[in-house]
Amino acid sequence: MRIPPSYPMALLAALVTLTPIFVLITLASDASSFFDSHNLTILGNTLSLMGLTVLGSILIGVPLAFISAYVQLPFKKFWLVVFAAPLAIPSYIGAFTLYAAFGPGGEIHNILGFETPSMYGLTGAAIVMTLYTFPFVMMTTRSSLLSLDASMVNAARTLGMSMTQSVFEVILPRVVNGIAAGSLLVALYTLSDFGTPAMMRLDTFTRVIYVEYNAFELSRAAMLSMQLMVIVGFLLMIESQIKTASERQGRPLILFPKKWQLGAMFATFAPILLLAIGLPLAVFTLWLVRDGFSSFDFSIAWHSTYASAIAAIVTVIVAIPVAHAALTGKAGKVMERVTYFGFGIPGIVMGTALVYGGLQLPFLYQTLGLLIIAYMLRFLPLAVGSVRTSTEHLDPSLVKSARVLGASPREAFTRITLPLTMRGIIAGAALVFLESMRELEATLLLGPTGFETLSTYLWRVYEAGYFGRAAIPGLLLVVISAAALAIMMSGEKRNQFEH
Amino acid sequence: MERRTFIQGLAALGVAGALPLSLSRAFAADIANPVSVDTLPKLKGALTLYLGRGEGGLYENVLQAIQKKNPDLDLAIRRGPTAALANTIVAEAKAGVKRADLFWAVDSGAIGLVTDAGLAKPMPSDLSAQLQPQFRYDEWAPVTGRIRTLPFNTERLTKEQIPTSIMEIADSDLSIGWAPAYASFQSFVTAMRILEGDDKTAKWLKKVQKRSKTYAGELGVVMGVERGEVDIGFANHYYTLRLKSGKPDAKLDLAFTEQDAGCLVNASGILSLSDDPLATNFMRYLLSVEVQSYLASEAYEIPLVNDIKQPDGLPKLTSISPPKIDLTQLADLRPTIDLMRSSGVL
Repeated sequence: MRIPPSYPMALLAALVTLTPIFVLITLASDASSFFDSHNLTILGNTLSLMGLTVLGSILIGVPLAFISAYVQLPFKKFWLVVFAAPLAIPSYIGAFTLYAAFGPGGEIHNILGFETPSMYGLTGAAIVMTLYTFPFVMMTTRSSLLSLDASMVNAARTLGMSMTQSVFEVILPRVVNGIAAGSLLVALYTLSDFGTPAMMRLDTFTRVIYVEYNAFELSRAAMLSMQLMVIVGFLLMIESQIKTASERQGRPLILFPKKWQLGAMFATFAPILLLAIGLPLAVFTLWLVRDGFSSFDFSIAWHSTYASAIAAIVTVIVAIPVAHAALTGKAGKVMERVTYFGFGIPGIVMGTALVYGGLQLPFLYQTLGLLIIAYMLRFLPLAVGSVRTSTEHLDPSLVKSARVLGASPREAFTRITLPLTMRGIIAGAALVFLESMRELEATLLLGPTGFETLSTYLWRVYEAGYFGRAAIPGLLLVVISAAALAIMMSGEKRNQFEH
Repeated sequence: MERRTFIQGLAALGVAGALPLSLSRAFAADIANPVSVDTLPKLKGALTLYLGRGEGGLYENVLQAIQKKNPDLDLAIRRGPTAALANTIVAEAKAGVKRADLFWAVDSGAIGLVTDAGLAKPMPSDLSAQLQPQFRYDEWAPVTGRIRTLPFNTERLTKEQIPTSIMEIADSDLSIGWAPAYASFQSFVTAMRILEGDDKTAKWLKKVQKRSKTYAGELGVVMGVERGEVDIGFANHYYTLRLKSGKPDAKLDLAFTEQDAGCLVNASGILSLSDDPLATNFMRYLLSVEVQSYLASEAYEIPLVNDIKQPDGLPKLTSISPPKIDLTQLADLRPTIDLMRSSGVL
């Protein structure tokens, strides 16, 4: 049997993804105990945060998906961008600013004179995580909603069902998979996030791993990481069971709301969006006005940008063969799935493993190269997903015709496949760029000495309590992220927007 | 004068007693005058500094000023929690990887971890001679001193309501803010272990934990106290003074315990991991009149070089009675971390 050309590269990527896990196993085998009672608290906190965040994202994301997909709103595209905008704000920036704004003596208290409850602990972390992850649910649910045929609803209505009834009995059951897919993304994101629970002072796995790492208890950090990986593994298993419904597309539903209904929608969701987007921007602007343009070294922004750009390019180059392998055969599919582990490995775990690995390979230790490898391993699945989707939609007969007309496989790839899948590739690269820009823990642990990025700078400022200095880097990070998000969304235009 | 008396009093209280090197020198009174940066050799070449985090922008300002004065100095700075960097240096040495030339730690416990591993290079004697006699060491130079304090919210409490024994705090009904992951806090727990024993310390940690809120750093603790999130906190003295200097009407004041770990006097310090004289020449800048004065006036840290003015706003120090403890013993960090972990605090 002939081996597809994409296989060797995909296999290599899969094996490299697994190396951090092997490192963790080696490290964890030194640990004195596998589990102690404190771990139960950590497990409880982690699962509660995950559960509450998923619930919150569904409660906000699904109605917003419904509104953006079906309801005839003025400035429809604008609203869709607003709904997705929280993705441009790293959740730890949200945590940072919400913590500073709320509570006695917080910015809201200072300016408006009334006290608001403090944001911290499980409640604070769940609120922050929900505010910045609901767009995942909104996007996946929306795309399943758009793939439904309105005639089913029309039939139900003709047969006497009310609109509300048909939403719950005809529409929702058919988009459950879309909701589940988004929820899983939210769950994975929550599990791997470090900044938010750390700032909200909630002991989750990522935060405790960080503490253990700082005591350089690598074996304990590795042991906790392994426990976290078990949960991640479960989630990925569930994810692989979810199949997107393949329904024959029809005309999407269009609803014309009455004035009061529009008003009610606005009254419900405007506060949420204001809290997610408006508040961080307002707090940063306030700090900027109060502290002025304190000396911010703009080379930090440049560091962030070029490291993320290199990571995006490298990741996409690796992602292309993996995506093609996934579409060529069963073995390729397995290799692709293996690379998904990377997204579930939190940055702190990846960082811990690669510090240890790096110490054995001094030429890589504390180099930009190792940091980029970490980014690549973590965000490869995002690029693979994006490339694979665009390749799936490619009509295979085009490549076959090219081959029949005498093109070599290589020529067919560079002249047919690559240009036609370019959008997906760019969207994937933008997504990797976005995630690398905001990545915090792996950057803290692995970056070269003296290499500061926007995210590590923000963390330093937060730890030292010099909040005012967060304004410029915080705003820069949001602006650059927003640009990457715009590129990513325009790359996904065909799937997401133009229905 | 009170302040000077206090600092010198420390020597009598035993800080010096445990330091063989300093003893002979201290009483030989070979006190060198402080040196100005203008008389120091220019720095030329590449240095890698591991900088323990926790001091915010003030150490950064010092480093920037040194770089500005020495354009030919190529200084790379790696920042991280002090304990993490100390452990990193030891792990790197074990793996045969050498990256750091200098280690500037916010806490002497982390310094001890590195010196105990035999990684620090000896200090030139003329450099130690600039320090006050009781703060001279063979392998590292203390840069500034700090005192453990109990910042409290003045709207909720008066100073009289706060126990003067750190052990009694655990039995009070006060709500407490702390930063257990912060190096100075861990050194304080080490001091408590040495003074009170492991069992009592573990009980204390568990009791306090029930009524405490955890913050990322000690400035966070002090801010939390000021915001009224907690009644009192555990923090180094300067965080409170810095916050009050920016916000004079802050509902915040300092209380001290008596003769226990609660008012431990500790020091930040720097050591060299490199044989290159450039590294020790760099250390000379930190002990210069200019840097020491800056850290005293802007950062409210206690200068340890002879003849430098003490920071403003430090409360009546004659009333403070730090415990008798040897700073080098604070390096015994590992059992502290184990204890804190087994008590569920870390």
